[in-house]
Amino acid sequence: METKSRNVKLKVRHVHKTYDDKVILGDISFDVMEGEFLAVLGLSGCGKTTLLRILIGLEKQDSGTIEMEGREISKLAPSQRGMGIIFQNYALFPNMTVLSNVEYALKRRKETAKTARETALHVLEQLGMHEHLNKKPRQLSGGQQQRVAIARTLAMNPDIILLDEPISALDVTNREIMKKELKEIQQKFHTTMIFITHEQEEAFYLADRIMVMSEGAIEQLDTPDQIFKHPANAYVKDFVVAHLEQKYQSLLKCTGREKF
Amino acid sequence: MRIYVALRVLQLSNACIYRSEDSMNKKKWTAVRMLIILFLLVSVIFPLVGVMTHITLEDAKKIMTSEQFLPMIGHSLATTGISTVISVSLAFLLAWCLNRTNIKGKGVFAVLFTIPMLIPSVSHGTGLVLLFGDNGLLTNGLGIHVSLYGYFGMILGWVLYSFPVAFLMLTDSFQYEDYTTYEAAQVLGMGKLEQFRTIMLPNLKKTLISTVFATFTLIFTDYGVPLVVGGKVMTLSLYMYREVVGLLDFSKGAIIGILLLIPAVAAFIVDLKNDETANASTVTKQYVVPLSRKRDGISYCICILTVAVICLPIAAFAFLSVVRQYPIDLSFSLENIREAFELGVGRYLENSLAMALGTSFVGVAVIYFTAYLTARSKKTLTTLTLHLISMLSLAVPGIVLGLSYVLFFKSTFFYGTIVMLILVNTIHFFASPYLMAYNSLNKFNRNLEDVSETLGISRMRMLRDVYLPCTQKTIIEMFSYIFVNCMVTISAVSFLANFKDMPLALLIPRFDSQSLVEATAFIALVILAVNGIMKIAVYILERRIKDPAE
Repeated sequence: METKSRNVKLKVRHVHKTYDDKVILGDISFDVMEGEFLAVLGLSGCGKTTLLRILIGLEKQDSGTIEMEGREISKLAPSQRGMGIIFQNYALFPNMTVLSNVEYALKRRKETAKTARETALHVLEQLGMHEHLNKKPRQLSGGQQQRVAIARTLAMNPDIILLDEPISALDVTNREIMKKELKEIQQKFHTTMIFITHEQEEAFYLADRIMVMSEGAIEQLDTPDQIFKHPANAYVKDFVVAHLEQKYQSLLKCTGREKF
Repeated sequence: MRIYVALRVLQLSNACIYRSEDSMNKKKWTAVRMLIILFLLVSVIFPLVGVMTHITLEDAKKIMTSEQFLPMIGHSLATTGISTVISVSLAFLLAWCLNRTNIKGKGVFAVLFTIPMLIPSVSHGTGLVLLFGDNGLLTNGLGIHVSLYGYFGMILGWVLYSFPVAFLMLTDSFQYEDYTTYEAAQVLGMGKLEQFRTIMLPNLKKTLISTVFATFTLIFTDYGVPLVVGGKVMTLSLYMYREVVGLLDFSKGAIIGILLLIPAVAAFIVDLKNDETANASTVTKQYVVPLSRKRDGISYCICILTVAVICLPIAAFAFLSVVRQYPIDLSFSLENIREAFELGVGRYLENSLAMALGTSFVGVAVIYFTAYLTARSKKTLTTLTLHLISMLSLAVPGIVLGLSYVLFFKSTFFYGTIVMLILVNTIHFFASPYLMAYNSLNKFNRNLEDVSETLGISRMRMLRDVYLPCTQKTIIEMFSYIFVNCMVTISAVSFLANFKDMPLALLIPRFDSQSLVEATAFIALVILAVNGIMKIAVYILERRIKDPAE
């Protein structure tokens, strides 16, 4: 589809990881395109979180390479890889205000106080958080805290943002809002995003392409459309297609239609 | 309380959490961890092993076969056992009064109940002598004649000494009872006694076991109370004190030391195995106290009576300090206080303050940093080892630690200086503040290190800018805990301090043997005052510190 016209941003080749003789990731290879929203979909324990942590350098692969725009990055420290990460539980600095949370890392990166402030304000405004600048994380709702976490990452202007189940901790209503916002943010900032989730709907709603994983291996990597129409194997068919069909069966009945 | 907390910590550490693998700094931090482990090895493990090597088989045989050995063990077990039962029962009753009734002033009572922790154990003995001794205030005043010296005095003194600790351990766990179970019991028509037996006791069982062990250990290893009111009854701890301080017989001391170690180690192991599951997060509904004036009335009586008993010896200390010459001349006079200062109370108070402040500052720094390393790093073998060694001091009675230091550090250049006292106290009081810091630091979001690492913020930066500001209250609590304990301790320091650098509390056994009754009373009062001021200062300071997360 449209991915063909884009450049390859991240090239992962033969990444392998074991813990105590148990294979967590078995020889994984894939590409991520520039500006793409890639969803990694799988049940817990399928290795998706480990993959994310290896990409950003919080954990080391046993073998394999990771290239960012042709440059091998797996030997670099996490902060030097040009990536940012957002966690499910926000991980904000509890004693700092919204503004300080975003500014702090910028200042540590030796930016002047003035530019740090300007960048932080700009990003926070884009995310609609400018009214809460002086609040502490605990005074914010889950969705607002997640916005601050996103702002903190965006402000560092990373090439790729990794999101580890970023909306799973939110309640149903906020989840829907955040889902929309994530899409908007991605379009606004044109950042490449890799998004981890165990929810099929989220992946289908957000992603340009979906990578279905199970037991440390890639089952299928394709557009939502293709995955739905042509599931690569029984696992994908059962885990993705059958799940979605079953879920919307009742809905379909109401509308009187028989197919999607 | 300390052991009770230990339970939860171990449980937490068992749940191995993903932590960042700081690839660049990994070696550096491992080196720091190894350094601390080495420090703890030298200051805990090696001295203890050293003690064992000092035992000669000949001496062991001599002690074991001596006539007084078996009676001594019997007395120790009997007095400690009886005291423990009374102490824990009283503590349980008081904890119940403050958690399961509607009486007013619960906070004030809770503070008053812990006052006995602010004076040395030996002062509980002297307090009883002042009240019930041959010329005691109550003996003369009310004509109460009791045979204080021996079992009666020891048990009474030890109950006073140990019940606050048991109270603190128990009162906490009352709050972790889920009321929905009781509601279910009411629906089923269970009676109060039935509820107590089938719900409350099982709920509190583990805490109770921990409390019993901790209290037993505390009493078993104390020589302060029997020194003053033991009379002809000899206990293991007192025997060890006499052998080492009086006769400089280290070998015999070491043998008794090993015996004293047994219940403490047992308590430690019980705690490690005892995986406590109850905590605040499992409580779906707080306990609802039904209205009952009769029950509240009885509770008031119990609490007020307890406070009165706590205050009696303190009143006696004060009375004796300002009366010209008891029981001959009861007119007001500052003569005794002047005399006490002439005997050097002022100078020894300075020693105590220097030692307590020194230990508090050094201790807080070392302990907090250790806790930071174990709580905020990946659970590797090094961090788990460090964690376990850090809690090990719970298993080592002060006098055993003190003796091991005498033997291990005797030939070093800082032996006999205040450095030695600060070191031994830091280790002696390591575990509890360590657990305070560990618990506080463990509560932070577990992804903070991941985030800071990807943002390029160093771990020292995080410590300075996030953890330290957020844990100010914990740090103050740690400081106050170490300070108060240094002021009252007569255990680890007793063999190590020379006459010149001796802390004030050690002056009490010395003066007691010279029958300087007024001076010992005044010293107890001074220590109480210093610790009281510390507690009040902490209270004010903590109220002024705003929660940085608000």
